[in-house]
Amino acid sequence: MSQSLATQCNELKERYDTCFLKWYSEKYLRGIGTAENNECQDLFKEYNKCLKVALKERGIDKLLEEAREDNKENDAVYFGNKK
Amino acid sequence: MKVFSNAETFNYSWEEVSTANWRKYCPWNEKSTHVVAVDTISRSMDEATGILRTERLITCKQSAPDWLKSLLGGAMEESQVLETSYVDLANKTVTMVSANLTFSNLINVQETVVYKPLNEHQTQFTQDAKITALCGGWQRIKNSIEDTLVKRFRENAIKGKEGFETVLAMSRRVFAEEREREKMSLIRDQASNIRMAAA
Repeated sequence: MSQSLATQCNELKERYDTCFLKWYSEKYLRGIGTAENNECQDLFKEYNKCLKVALKERGIDKLLEEAREDNKENDAVYFGNKK
Repeated sequence: MKVFSNAETFNYSWEEVSTANWRKYCPWNEKSTHVVAVDTISRSMDEATGILRTERLITCKQSAPDWLKSLLGGAMEESQVLETSYVDLANKTVTMVSANLTFSNLINVQETVVYKPLNEHQTQFTQDAKITALCGGWQRIKNSIEDTLVKRFRENAIKGKEGFETVLAMSRRVFAEEREREKMSLIRDQASNIRMAAA
């Protein structure tokens, strides 16, 4: 797997990525993956907690907020229309 | 604004490509070394459509030409890109929209990548990037900045294809080995059950 931008989050990231890849290939792609039966949720929370601190330290959190604002149109295109 | 477009065919199923896409920038990919980190910052699945939406923060390290560095103020060593992807299982489409976070007040890079199946064994990759230099000043400088980035996109696209091919080949091998291991352990379990029943 690839590295995290924050080395202290690498281990948590690796655990989450491994879990997700398994879920994706064995459940999601077979059409049996739902938001409820996602066993990787807790691992994601731990990884995300670590990452959030690192993003804040580097000031990336603010850049992300701005970019997300611009992304709303994309969500409408790739999500909204298909609902 | 300058546009970079590219299309490739991968001789792997859409399922294989969409899975390997999550580890495109792992150590198996020895070509795309400009990507130094990939972090998932959010992931959710839409119940109604089944679309899986993921936000990833891609950290790149690639040195810019000296003239561009001095124009942007030096530290262009590390830059971040926000990639938002939508996996639509029902329509077998992966769409990835990426925008630069770093220097977004000077340069705007919007990239869209789509993976769609051509048939059961082949997947089509299309890439479109719109590059716009926003800084005020001479059109000539803006053009040079845009041209430099288009050139960079072209170089990275060639390396990206080569690197992803390696990741796809490795993924197929690892999945096959895993299936083999599972089969073997199933056989072992059955054999030991039979032995226990006989004892």
